[in-house]
Amino acid sequence: MGAPVRGRRPGVADYEIRLADSGIRRARGKQPLLNEPVHQGPALLNRSDRREFRLSGAAPVRRLPVGLRAVAAAVTGALALFGGAAAARAEIVRTPYVEAELAPDVAAAAPGGTVHVALRQKIKPGWHTYWRNPGDSGEPTRLAWTLPQGWSAGEIVWPTPERQPVGPLVNYGYSNQVLLPVPIRVPADARPGQTVRLAAVADWLVCEEICIPEQVKLTLDLPVAAGPAAPHPQHGAAVRQALAAAPKPGVLTGVAALAGGRLKLAVLGAPARGDGAARAYFFPYDGALIDHAKPQGIERGPAGLTLTMVPGYGAQTGAVTGPVQGVLSFGEGEAYLVEASVGSLPAQAAGLGAPGAGGRSGLGLPLALGFAFLGGLILNLMPCVFPVLSMKAAALAGHAHEPRTARVQGLAFLAGVLTTFLGLAAALLVARAAGETAGWGFQLQSPPVIAGLALLMLLIALNLSGVFHLGESVQGVGSGLSGRGGAAGAFFTGVLAVAVAAPCTAPFMAAAMGYAVVQPTAVALSVFAALGLGLAAPFVLVSFTPTLLRRLPRPGAWMETLQRLLAFPMYATAAWLAWIFARQTGVAGLAELFAAAWLVALAAWLFGRSQHSGRPLPFRIGASAAALLAVAWLGVAALGAPGGGKAESAALAAEAYTPERLAALRAEGRPVFVNFTADWCVTCKVNERVALSSAEVGRAFERTGVVYLKADWTNRDPVIAAALSEHGRAGVPLYLLYSPGADQPRILPQLLTTGAVIKALEEATPST
Amino acid sequence: MLTRRHLGLAAAAVLLAGGGATAQTGPVIGQPAPDFSAQDADGRTRSLKQYRGKTVVLEWTNHDCPYVKKHYSGNMQALQREATKDGVVWLSIVSSAPGQQGHITGEQAKQLTASRKGSPTAVLLDPSGAVGRLYGAKTTPHMFVINAQGRLVYAGGIDDVPSNKVEDLERAKPLVKLALADVKAGRAVAVPASKPYGCAVKYKP
Repeated sequence: MGAPVRGRRPGVADYEIRLADSGIRRARGKQPLLNEPVHQGPALLNRSDRREFRLSGAAPVRRLPVGLRAVAAAVTGALALFGGAAAARAEIVRTPYVEAELAPDVAAAAPGGTVHVALRQKIKPGWHTYWRNPGDSGEPTRLAWTLPQGWSAGEIVWPTPERQPVGPLVNYGYSNQVLLPVPIRVPADARPGQTVRLAAVADWLVCEEICIPEQVKLTLDLPVAAGPAAPHPQHGAAVRQALAAAPKPGVLTGVAALAGGRLKLAVLGAPARGDGAARAYFFPYDGALIDHAKPQGIERGPAGLTLTMVPGYGAQTGAVTGPVQGVLSFGEGEAYLVEASVGSLPAQAAGLGAPGAGGRSGLGLPLALGFAFLGGLILNLMPCVFPVLSMKAAALAGHAHEPRTARVQGLAFLAGVLTTFLGLAAALLVARAAGETAGWGFQLQSPPVIAGLALLMLLIALNLSGVFHLGESVQGVGSGLSGRGGAAGAFFTGVLAVAVAAPCTAPFMAAAMGYAVVQPTAVALSVFAALGLGLAAPFVLVSFTPTLLRRLPRPGAWMETLQRLLAFPMYATAAWLAWIFARQTGVAGLAELFAAAWLVALAAWLFGRSQHSGRPLPFRIGASAAALLAVAWLGVAALGAPGGGKAESAALAAEAYTPERLAALRAEGRPVFVNFTADWCVTCKVNERVALSSAEVGRAFERTGVVYLKADWTNRDPVIAAALSEHGRAGVPLYLLYSPGADQPRILPQLLTTGAVIKALEEATPST
Repeated sequence: MLTRRHLGLAAAAVLLAGGGATAQTGPVIGQPAPDFSAQDADGRTRSLKQYRGKTVVLEWTNHDCPYVKKHYSGNMQALQREATKDGVVWLSIVSSAPGQQGHITGEQAKQLTASRKGSPTAVLLDPSGAVGRLYGAKTTPHMFVINAQGRLVYAGGIDDVPSNKVEDLERAKPLVKLALADVKAGRAVAVPASKPYGCAVKYKP
């Protein structure tokens, strides 16, 4: 038979609509089917009249044209494939807010096969229905099937939902039109030629500002046909599209962990590395898992990404039990199912910071370059750099009458600075790509590097003290470290300037570095280059400006005095590095370092003697032997140096930072100050001495009840590195002040003053 | 000193990166429930603090919400009756903003209580949504139980079957009722948190 257009009994259809909006009432009955669009129940839109809403207004409508269209399709030959089989037909039911019907993907069911029947909801503009986890409020759409013997329905294949903010809340749902496909198994013994009735009671909540629960009964008469059937002429494409667009399983793997009061979800897989990462959003199946309204932090990694979410009420009472399931959406219709086990997070899913605009620091490239340059300029004045550069500049003054030589030296110095900076940057980026949590000054977390730097500082100091000389022309005291006219010497000075600059973080640098380490390689390198340019700029400027050069004091005997004097800051630096080494490795390590330092000093003296002696060879042999011994000793010391032996001597009592402790204190509603510091960070130590250790600040802490947590990054620590990166930083110092109840901490400036700290503490705590 | 402080502030302004944003965070189970005050239907100010020493139930409500209606089919009134008989303070809170669904005046609140035969200790009007946001109230109903020591011991749904159907009451685990029984017996609340369900609280946009 053809499409049963008029042959169908134009009788009555069951319907049932609940309108809890007018109280939980229920209407059930037989009503003549209407061919006209239903009355839209305007009473519902008028709040005061809503209770008077007439159920008759929501009568279901059988839409006859379905059959008519099938006839039209048959005429055009589209139905030729299933010849005599009846066309699938469904009734459209309209409530005041939703038009619904059952939409099959195929025109007929094949015995033993699966058909997908979708609940199609056309939702009134501005209104929503809900996903399986509706978010903060709402209720998911539900289907209860009544199927012929042997037929069975599976679960709804939920399309990726939308995020729907409602005031301070967020719901997950659908608007306009949505298809919710359900796979239905057709029994093998279904008889071709027969038409079966698939019935479902659909329950949904539809909300705009107010919510209306609705329930409708839907039916679909589906013919059974032998062999594969053609797509349903009206719905086939849309249902298949909905199935194709549904979140894909098996592409991403995930691990979840509750840490520091946050729920982290690390996801590995190709899509998580793509451009969509910036739009990543996790829709959890479990409505208790996360606080839906809170933004989800995104951190990229070499092999995936990590989302940081605020846990839902479930985390208040216990740990997260796996697996964590849900949909990870990358926007633009790209979404994947995630089933994450609970465990330790893979490093490859993090470490590259937030996608796009450079972490939460939100600096653009031009600003980052500017900050880097400025930071480099200020580095010149830092105590670790200043002695080296001022000697070099003074030596340069001797070339005031030879502008060419001066320029060559300037450029050589620039080259030295840039090469070293880019080398450091490259090492840092490689470490990051390998999943290490590295940041500015990261090399100082290695005790051998600290020991090496300490010995280097000692050597520079000995040189400044005149124990030995460098440079190809040794013309007696006075030229010293700077050498004479040597481009190589200038280059070396550049290298040295960067090496000794590492412990110092200048203002503006941290923001730029934090930006750089999360950027693509080229951008990161350019930011580091800008830092190098800033560091080299004063020297290069002087070397290229004869007028400036002439204004510098001429080298002479006074330089020797200055040189001897400047040796002392370098001795101090060496001593300070030795102290860090002791903190990293313990007192035994310190003894080893001192032994190595003693050998270095001996070697330097022997070398210096060889420069003045008529018979230099024995001295040189002795010097080489002592130097070798020093290196060997250092190697032994460094190898046998585990971390440890750290003692806390801060004047202000600080608790050790852990994310858990921070979360616990914040949960208690206590204000918290977190000091991210490291012993090798001069800026940090200066801030601690000048601002944090003062009695006034101590009293302010007491008065305001702010808890002082210290995150010590002297040694490598992925937890602290992660916390830094969470705030868009790649290095210390970082000062965070959490006010009670505030979601985000206030970030204090990198140069602290007593006044600023006290003011911040007072502002963080509502006067009690 | 002043200039130094200003310099510091200027630097803070430059270096501050998106800090300071506040967002509503609900109270924590086991922690002191944050104090609040609001006007009741008679215009009297009531505060949480004044009920220290008594068990307090907070019920977020919106009489036009289908989920609220489900529970006011008798379930909510019964709970209120039993609780207040036991000396529990029951505060129904309306955080619907003016012009939003469920917003009521004090007079309307009294009429509603009478017509529904409810027996809350008081209906508190929170049109600004301040109390709702303080507690992170998401839905109507959204329930909180605070013990005599002022600590939050339960937060979440009134029961564990998120639906608007009266017939689901039978199979639901009455979480608030159970929590009150635990508090009365001096036990720790067995299920101290659940997912609240219902209509979104109609806050001031």
